[in-house]
Amino acid sequence: MKRVPLIFLLITAFWMMGLSTLTWAESPKDPSPPPTAEEMEDEYKDEEPLTIPDPLEPFNRAMFTFNDKLYFWVLKPIAQGYGEVVPETARVGVNRFFNNLGFPIRFINCLLQGKFKGALSEFGRFTINTVWGIGGLLDPAGDEDINLKAYHEDLGRTLASYGIGHGIFIMWPVLGPSSLRDTVGSAGDLFLNPVSYVEPWYAGEAIKGYDKVNEVSLRIGDYESLKEAAIDPYIAVRNAYIQYRKQAGGRQGFITPPAKEKNIEGKP
Amino acid sequence: MKATRTIFLILILILFLPPAAKATTALETVRKNVNQVLEILRDPSRKAQFAKEIKEDRIRPIFKEMFDDVELSKRTLGRNWSVLKPNQQEEFVTLFRRILENAYADKILSYKNEEVVFDRESMIGPNRAEVYTRVITSSKQIPVVYRVILKDGTWRVYDVVIENVSLVQNYRSQFNDILSKDTPEKLLEIMRNKLREKKS
Repeated sequence: MKRVPLIFLLITAFWMMGLSTLTWAESPKDPSPPPTAEEMEDEYKDEEPLTIPDPLEPFNRAMFTFNDKLYFWVLKPIAQGYGEVVPETARVGVNRFFNNLGFPIRFINCLLQGKFKGALSEFGRFTINTVWGIGGLLDPAGDEDINLKAYHEDLGRTLASYGIGHGIFIMWPVLGPSSLRDTVGSAGDLFLNPVSYVEPWYAGEAIKGYDKVNEVSLRIGDYESLKEAAIDPYIAVRNAYIQYRKQAGGRQGFITPPAKEKNIEGKP
Repeated sequence: MKATRTIFLILILILFLPPAAKATTALETVRKNVNQVLEILRDPSRKAQFAKEIKEDRIRPIFKEMFDDVELSKRTLGRNWSVLKPNQQEEFVTLFRRILENAYADKILSYKNEEVVFDRESMIGPNRAEVYTRVITSSKQIPVVYRVILKDGTWRVYDVVIENVSLVQNYRSQFNDILSKDTPEKLLEIMRNKLREKKS
């Protein structure tokens, strides 16, 4: 009789050991691997922020103003009106549905980057959420007990992983900030987007427009606060774009050049 | 029997001590400060007309404690820091702190009804750490990372990274752009105007 609790204890201990090694192993990836001290040191040693060539700046600034007006005069009022009518839960569901539909983009681009774990995770998410999540309206795969992570890969990031740089910054009317590389990427991703195959073409565009309005209705205030905080909103958006694209790519094991051997203490 | 139990105990200790020992004050400091700010923002007794100003007045001292404004300014200006004369540097620090206070207050104000989760901290240097937090809204989770530096025994924030975008880097790109075309005096004037338009 006396043995039983001990065995239990041992089993519990082993189980906990397994569990804690698991969480230890996983925690550095969530949400992003902490940069090493050398990287941080480098980041602040080089005083230039991430930059991107912007030879089209006059055009881009004009387009930025255009998009700004488009947002405040058209997109925001529509999204707000829509948000008044449709409850948030429904809008979150719609957003998930469209995200789920974008599965081929993420899956193929994971494969193109050799991220097989990501591809597997995406495949699992798509299957589970389509079947048990009512076509993607719910996200049971993201629940804590299944916890399959989404890998937001796209062709722009695939090209980046092949060593292709941004090229130049482009502010597209309506579509917003992008770069030469990411524009090519987005164009390629269109072929992987199921909505692109909806006939007639304007029905497909209408669906995309609806997706956009729905998304904006969930993010009202984000652009406003960025603009409010900025000294020069155009530069702020441009920099936020390249930071976002760079780090989001780095989030899942993007290949970074090995940091140079450096003494953290600052001794030569 | 005794031996197994001892081994088991040691195992438990090995497993649980490192994280416990690592849970130093960086995360706790950030948690304390953020919670204080949220508490003021959520205070229902201040629904009066001037609630916003009163809240801002109460939040300001917390910010002062929370952020290392000189470090922030230096990092944001980078190489251009030394281009400014000492009195300009001084004014820059003051102006920039107020701009950041407004920006951060706006951002955190929009999160006031959301849950903030403090996940973990990781050391990124001998006296620097990153504190990982998440703001959980009904539709999404927003990762917010506080970069803190230990000075005189206190952890102070020198950068906030919201959704992977570093505030310091973002401002640095803007200041660099202005200083590449204009004088430091002009930059200070732009900042003064920015604060004035916010007031009105």
